[in-house]
Amino acid sequence: MNKFNFFEWLTTTPWANMMNGAEWVFPVVQSLHFIGFALSIGTIVIVDLRLLGFGMKKQSASDLAADLRRWTLAGICLMLVTGFLMFSADAAIYHVNPSFRVKMTVLTIALLFHFTIHRMVVRPNASAAFAKIAAVVSLVLWISVVGAGRFIAFT
Amino acid sequence: MNIIPTLEWIEKTDLSIAIREGALPYPIIGGFHLLAIALFGGMLLLTDMRMLGWAMQRYSIADVVNQFKNWKRFGFLMVTISGLLLTWGEPLKMYRSREFWIKMTLFVLVGVHALVFHKSVYGHPERLDEAAPAIPIRAKAAAVLSLLLWVGLIVSGRLIAFDS
Repeated sequence: MNKFNFFEWLTTTPWANMMNGAEWVFPVVQSLHFIGFALSIGTIVIVDLRLLGFGMKKQSASDLAADLRRWTLAGICLMLVTGFLMFSADAAIYHVNPSFRVKMTVLTIALLFHFTIHRMVVRPNASAAFAKIAAVVSLVLWISVVGAGRFIAFT
Repeated sequence: MNIIPTLEWIEKTDLSIAIREGALPYPIIGGFHLLAIALFGGMLLLTDMRMLGWAMQRYSIADVVNQFKNWKRFGFLMVTISGLLLTWGEPLKMYRSREFWIKMTLFVLVGVHALVFHKSVYGHPERLDEAAPAIPIRAKAAAVLSLLLWVGLIVSGRLIAFDS
């Protein structure tokens, strides 16, 4: 099975039919996508701002990250599942959309960064300077994911 | 009073034309609208979830409310200003959209929510901690209503774009 057929097949799946069915389904799933990234990116941003010294100073970054982790993961799951559903609705079109490709590339980098370097810099013994750089990189990556996402509909 | 001529005047302003017809302004302003949700929506969700006893239990309610307050205000400004610009770009389309008016109703209710709960909940969060580990019912009510309002704002906002 070649690549093109896979994307064509996706658009014929039951969940793609659901997405392309009643008019309200797509916007509602997209709303869940927004709530998913408000939770995931939103909690990552709280930790990033703490690493930069811009808030939540009563708690250490490692405590904050530990307490928010489950919500970050829940948000990531919600955003990936709903993102996949939206992609399935029109997979053959989306996968050649330049903004979509940029978004998927940056998203992959952002996720890898989050589960490796970002996890390291929130440890109590991490270098503060390194943590600040990582926080800026994290913010730039996630802002780019959202920005590229908005452009998918316009390219 | 007929509002249509006013809306037609808005639609003819340079700013409205630029937002509507330029290739970049609309998605960029829309991007800021979304970014406000992505960057600061989490603080809103976490504040409400703390009041419901679901998250950040190690911190007092006062700590969570006070430390997120200014960032949430910044996010609110960002989402409101970008939303206003998006509306300025398509005033007649918005006027005729049922979903837009549902969204505006919810937006007004956010203001009512703030007026109703400011004194008893958000203005003095340290009072909510006095009952710890129990959480006062008024705080839980404020949190549930806040979550419902913001989810409603997101869904109605999305429905505007798919309105045919």
